[in-house]
Amino acid sequence: MSLLEVSGLRCGYGIVEVLFGLDLSVAEGELVVVLGANGAGKTTTLRAISGMIPASGSVRLDGTEVLGRRPDQLLSAGVAHVPQGRGTISALSVEDNLRVGGYQRSSAEVTEDLEMWFEVFPRLSERRTQLAGSMSGGEQQMLAIARAFMSRPRLLLLDEPSLGLAPLVTREVFDRLRDVTQQMGSAVLLVEQNANLALDFAARAYVLEAGSIVVSGSASELQGDEAIQKAYLGL
Amino acid sequence: MTSTGPRWVRYASGAVMAVVLVALPFMFPAFRVNQFVTWMCLAVAAAGLNLLTGFNGQISVGHGALYGLGAYTAAILVTDSGWPMLATPVAAAAVCFVAGVVIGLPALRIKGLYLALVTLAVATLFPALVEQFSSLTGGSSGLSLVVPQDDCPRGRPECPVRWESPIDGLASDQWRYFVFLAVTVVMFIVVANIVRSRTGRSLVAIRDNEVAAEASGVNVSRAKILTFGTSAAIAGVGGAMLALNNGRVNPTSFTLLVSIYLLVAVVVGGAATIVGPAVGTVVAGLFNDVIAPELPGRFENAAPVILGVLLVIQMLLAPNGIVGQIRDLQARIAARRHGGDPGGQTGHLATPGGTGTEPEDLGSASGT
Amino acid sequence: MNDFLEVVVVGIGNGAVYAMLGLGLVVIYRSTGLLNFAQGELSMFSTFIVWTIWNAGVPLWLAILGGMAGGFLVGILLHQVAVSPLGDPHEKPLAVVIVTIALFLALNGAAQLIWGTVDKRLDPLFGQSQVTIGGVAIQWQKIGAVLVLVALATGFVLLFNRTKLGLAMRAVASNSESAGLCGVPVPRILMLGWGLAAAVGTVAGVFTAPQLGLGTNMMQLTLIFGFAAITLGGFDSLIGAVVGGMVVGILSAVVPQYVSTFERMPLAPAFILILAVLLFRPQGLFGSKEVQRV
Ligand SMILES: Nc1ncnc2c1ncn2[C@@H]1O[C@H](COP(=O)(O)OP(=O)(O)O)[C@@H](O)[C@H]1O
Ligand SMILES: [Mg+2]
Repeated sequence: MSLLEVSGLRCGYGIVEVLFGLDLSVAEGELVVVLGANGAGKTTTLRAISGMIPASGSVRLDGTEVLGRRPDQLLSAGVAHVPQGRGTISALSVEDNLRVGGYQRSSAEVTEDLEMWFEVFPRLSERRTQLAGSMSGGEQQMLAIARAFMSRPRLLLLDEPSLGLAPLVTREVFDRLRDVTQQMGSAVLLVEQNANLALDFAARAYVLEAGSIVVSGSASELQGDEAIQKAYLGL
Repeated sequence: MTSTGPRWVRYASGAVMAVVLVALPFMFPAFRVNQFVTWMCLAVAAAGLNLLTGFNGQISVGHGALYGLGAYTAAILVTDSGWPMLATPVAAAAVCFVAGVVIGLPALRIKGLYLALVTLAVATLFPALVEQFSSLTGGSSGLSLVVPQDDCPRGRPECPVRWESPIDGLASDQWRYFVFLAVTVVMFIVVANIVRSRTGRSLVAIRDNEVAAEASGVNVSRAKILTFGTSAAIAGVGGAMLALNNGRVNPTSFTLLVSIYLLVAVVVGGAATIVGPAVGTVVAGLFNDVIAPELPGRFENAAPVILGVLLVIQMLLAPNGIVGQIRDLQARIAARRHGGDPGGQTGHLATPGGTGTEPEDLGSASGT
Repeated sequence: MNDFLEVVVVGIGNGAVYAMLGLGLVVIYRSTGLLNFAQGELSMFSTFIVWTIWNAGVPLWLAILGGMAGGFLVGILLHQVAVSPLGDPHEKPLAVVIVTIALFLALNGAAQLIWGTVDKRLDPLFGQSQVTIGGVAIQWQKIGAVLVLVALATGFVLLFNRTKLGLAMRAVASNSESAGLCGVPVPRILMLGWGLAAAVGTVAGVFTAPQLGLGTNMMQLTLIFGFAAITLGGFDSLIGAVVGGMVVGILSAVVPQYVSTFERMPLAPAFILILAVLLFRPQGLFGSKEVQRV
């Protein structure tokens, strides 16, 4: 049984339908990417899974239906979500952002993990007391990832970490992400436009087009298939 | 009044409304007719507020003060300067226009809830202002309107305002009713024309997206200030009408509660609809003047509780007000009849600045 | 000089009350982002609860705790049934204004219904006596008001900066969507914000009632002064509420005394202050720039 099992997910904004019955799954500890162009419905997919917007269909976690729960309830079930745009809580300091990330855990655990993340990301440590909103885009992305891991999730939903970042910074974010996920053993459902980096990172991939999955397979298959790359990934 | 229903429905309902309005003063005793006239004054002020808050998205909790300013202007001009009565609403409009522009200037920088706060303070301040300038306003004891008249009793040169009917068979309260009805109808036509004009569409465009409106060539600052002025002027006319009708003005008639009442009338009737404020005033008037006094002794104070609860329920279930909701319904029926989707229903609530009601002709708004 | 100082002392006493009401307004602003036009009535209502308990023979301080608990519950209830279903307040300012005004009407009417329209008498918490310091007579009640204010403000500062609940409240106020994704139960935090604001409002009412008489309209002017206080101090600043309350209290006591134009309008300086601050420094003295969402 997969950790996350999404089937027939439908969702929209008002009368505009965006997702037309999506199926996808993520196994325990697996790294999965959903690729798609701008407007394909990637963000909507993640928002529907984590309960930020109403949706129909089925989202199962360990076989338990979780559709209709609030984001904080999903987090208790082990799903953390780094939203598009990083979701920095800009009026809070870097440290307080991380503490909020560990809201559902005991303060002893939080303090322990806090120190660990400051070691992993020394740059966050330097800016510990600084307001999070005043950091650069790359730093905010690192903060968002660290904050999500503060809850020790079994599954991380990650929305376009490359958005608005310079190529070099993006590469660095992905490098750190790879290290961290290996260390934490969490599964990741990443959505991205940047196919190259994402396929390097993930083991398995889906391609989303206009609200439907059109291709799926292992990352290496997709990387090797020129037809798919031309048709869907603009490579 | 709506662009959706079939034409004959509109004409028929207009005709029915006209017949009812003409028949009312013959069906009710004088004190009721007098209440109806009071409602007209409030309806005019509410229509002015609607122009600002409903169509332009600037929230005012202070229109009671402008209503009061209009009333005091009329009272002082009639009593101290001997102006003919029916000229005073014009002067009240001018005075309130200036006051509105003065309040509108800071409103260029102060928006949303913060503008509500400032105008709330204006409303609270007004009765104190009246008392401060008591030599002009009569302070807390108020001001009675007196007019020079040839036939004053006991040979005095002036006496309180009276509305002698020039028509045989029409009692003075009925005559007054029709005079005020005429003024009210004129004011609503004025508002309707403003709203349907190019300017009116730019007001809505500003409410929905100020930056986009500016980009499409609307002079946002000028439009907002003029709207504040015009809205205040119309509220001032309503106030002048009230002073002429009552024959006296009192600071207690223009407390914060009046401002609240006006806002409630707009929202209940339907913000950003032409007739909404009138409908809302009638509903609020029925509630306050007809139903509330009938509540059994122990519960005579229950009226505001009931009103508050009803308002909350309305904001949650029917935020577009009575007229807005009827129009939504018509649109839905029309869409179903044409086999289409009832477009434009969702996302109403998200309209920034307004309750989310669409103006009559939003479609053309984008063209300005 | 002593005359002047006595006026200032009166101002400080009033200012402490404005600041207490301001604290409640700030708490609601910080947790839900809205200006609560019903805060004064909420405070009036729970002061009547205090009176009811006290009138039954319970010591006043205990009755105040009871009133705070009652206010807390009323605040929570109102938030759940009326405010929460509205959604983001800055998206729909008119709806927020209408709903808080509706609560204003409902609370005022409910108080009249329950407790009648005749003013009640509530004893001052710190008695009637006074001390003379440097030739200036100061009522213990005023000194008490300042002390209670300092205690409340300190309590809230600690709550916001030192506790998990405070952290959650700050997170929700800054970015409620992200706070939810981090596992903060947003609806419950908002609800607690309203409850806390109503509880602290009780104290403001308890200090107002002995002075103005415990009536259903006693907080309406005080509310405007409270708003002036937090506008000056910054809508999201607890310290700002305290400093702002003091400034507004002193100004509105001193100015009408010495400027004949404002003789009957203690509210006028407060109004001018609100207007000037919103125009020229919308974040107030201590508020964060974010508040400039205006
Ligand atoms: N809040 C919203 N309201 C209405 N439509 C939206 C909203 N957010 C996204 N959409 C629409 O949904 C579609 C999918 O958007 P999104 O999920 O953000 O795509 P992606 O993340 O793949 O770029 C787009 O057509 C977009 O215009
Ligand atoms: Mg996206």
